[in-house]
Amino acid sequence: MAIQVRNLVKRFGAFSALQEVSLDIASGELVALLGPSGSGKTTLLRVIAGLETPDSGDVLFDGEDAIRRDVRERGVGFVFQHYALFRHMTVFENVAFGLRVQPRKIRPPEDEIRARVHELLGLVQLDWLGHRYPAQLSGGQRQRIALARALAVKPDLLLLDEPFGALDARVRKELRRWLRRLHDDIHITSVFVTHDQDEALEVADRVVVMNEGAIEQVGTPEEVYDHPATPFVYSFLGDVNLFHGRFEAGHVQIGESSVRAHPGGSVEEGEAMAFVRTHEFEVVRERIGNGALPATVRHIRALGPRVRIELDRTDDGKMIEAEVSRAEYDALDLRKGDQVFVSARRARVFVNSD
Amino acid sequence: MTASVAGLDRSIAVRPRARSTSEPRVVRWTLIGVALVFLLLFLVVPLVSVFAGALAKGFGPFLRGVRDPDTLAAVRLTLLTAAVAVPLNLGFGIAASWAIAKFNFRGKNLLVTLIDLPFAVSPVIAGMVFVLLFGAQGWAGPWLRDHDIRILFAVPGIVLATTFVTFPFVARELIPLMEEQGTEEEEAARVLGASGWQIFRRVTLPNIRWGLLYGVILCNARAMGEFGAVSVVSGHIRGVTTTLPLQVEILYNEYNFTAAFAAASLLTLLALVTLAAKRWVERRREDT
Repeated sequence: MAIQVRNLVKRFGAFSALQEVSLDIASGELVALLGPSGSGKTTLLRVIAGLETPDSGDVLFDGEDAIRRDVRERGVGFVFQHYALFRHMTVFENVAFGLRVQPRKIRPPEDEIRARVHELLGLVQLDWLGHRYPAQLSGGQRQRIALARALAVKPDLLLLDEPFGALDARVRKELRRWLRRLHDDIHITSVFVTHDQDEALEVADRVVVMNEGAIEQVGTPEEVYDHPATPFVYSFLGDVNLFHGRFEAGHVQIGESSVRAHPGGSVEEGEAMAFVRTHEFEVVRERIGNGALPATVRHIRALGPRVRIELDRTDDGKMIEAEVSRAEYDALDLRKGDQVFVSARRARVFVNSD
Repeated sequence: MTASVAGLDRSIAVRPRARSTSEPRVVRWTLIGVALVFLLLFLVVPLVSVFAGALAKGFGPFLRGVRDPDTLAAVRLTLLTAAVAVPLNLGFGIAASWAIAKFNFRGKNLLVTLIDLPFAVSPVIAGMVFVLLFGAQGWAGPWLRDHDIRILFAVPGIVLATTFVTFPFVARELIPLMEEQGTEEEEAARVLGASGWQIFRRVTLPNIRWGLLYGVILCNARAMGEFGAVSVVSGHIRGVTTTLPLQVEILYNEYNFTAAFAAASLLTLLALVTLAAKRWVERRREDT
């Protein structure tokens, strides 16, 4: 099912949760709503589900108005952040619930319900847990049962609110991959909310980056990561260093170094923000040219193939976080307290014209 | 959740006491002794004396006291009153706690405060309110007289006063429980296609059943035992408008001690049954 969201506005008292949000989701897509808490991503998800009524704006399912349709008739599967499993029902009854509450006329017979529940429990690989109660399950198991329960009514749209938020790191990673594979198998239009950039970039076909009730950028994981449209997207995705300086004649002046930049647009000069990802730095011992900033090595974390280096700028003492490969690190033979020069191979510059 | 927490408590209880929290033996035994003496003087002795008083002249007089037509009428009226007041407050309690725990609306705090009013005000005053409302000189008095409806000094007045006094029990029990459980399960049921009634019957009610039963037991105990408010509106017509507690008072004032204690022993038995039921519900609650 394709979803169109048009100019959604939602306020809670004085707080503006959604400001004129518009979004298109194609049928069969797996979309992530990514943003910090309070960015409106969960509100958007709940409005699409029908759990929240917008103050204005439209939600269309396959071109048909959905706002005036009751939650019960939207054909939506919803996985809640804390799973919201029915605590007094067994796992089996939890999954069967959506089928059992159907009106008698369309409700499948008991043996069909049983077959369907077992099929779903098989799909989430937990067929052996049917007789247990939610309190007896681990977080990851609850999560998968919640998903099976949502899928039982054969929804046209699957909505997941922070689906991996409450799980520990390893289970989280495993479930992420598993959700991706599940989606590849059943191809149901899916939207999930997350504040975790890795999760969004790894799992989703497209990522919607939200901030303060508005959409900052929509694109594939590569697009939003490599070509962030706004300073917010840049700072929210990946580990990034922010420099303030003045943009003039195609260069940004950062401290005593000057970095070439192409901010795009027609801005000639002004105050600039320059973003540099940790892996976009070059760390050298001898100064070459005037693009490099002198700095002191403060801390080194040499775990795994990438080595993270924290440096203090010599001119203003601010911290720079850089990441180099193991080989580079070994060649440099760095020690804490060493004087080095740091230059950006690449910088994304946003200029405020004055 | 509750089960695991209770399990935790138990496991802590069997662990040897840490030195820092153990008092000298003398202090411990003194504290326990004081508590036991207090319990004996103020709870056990009165409880035993009720039954002792009832059986003082043997089993025959006790049975005669219980079988007295006026006492039996009082038992019937007490049961009838509870049978009306408890379901009324059950319905109200669920409705009010549902509204308070699951929705936000104007005047919510006022409603929460009002629910406690019957606890805050003396039962005698509760009775007086109904006299003011329905008495011959009251607001609705003339209208009621014209239509030949008797509320005061009749069964409806007794039921009304009892309902008022027992109003908070169910709601007080359910509000914190429902607030703690939140609305997520109800939302999940709604998305899965359940109607309002199905959500209530299949999700909300099973989650609150033990709290609900607990509230009903307390409500029932109070409904049967209420004296003050009922005394004001009853009119003390023997065999017609006396509930069991009022009957005890009447018999006592007539120096008919055996009969008074016989009636009192019935009320005391009710109290013991209530305590047992309450304990049983508490245990079940911990297990689920």
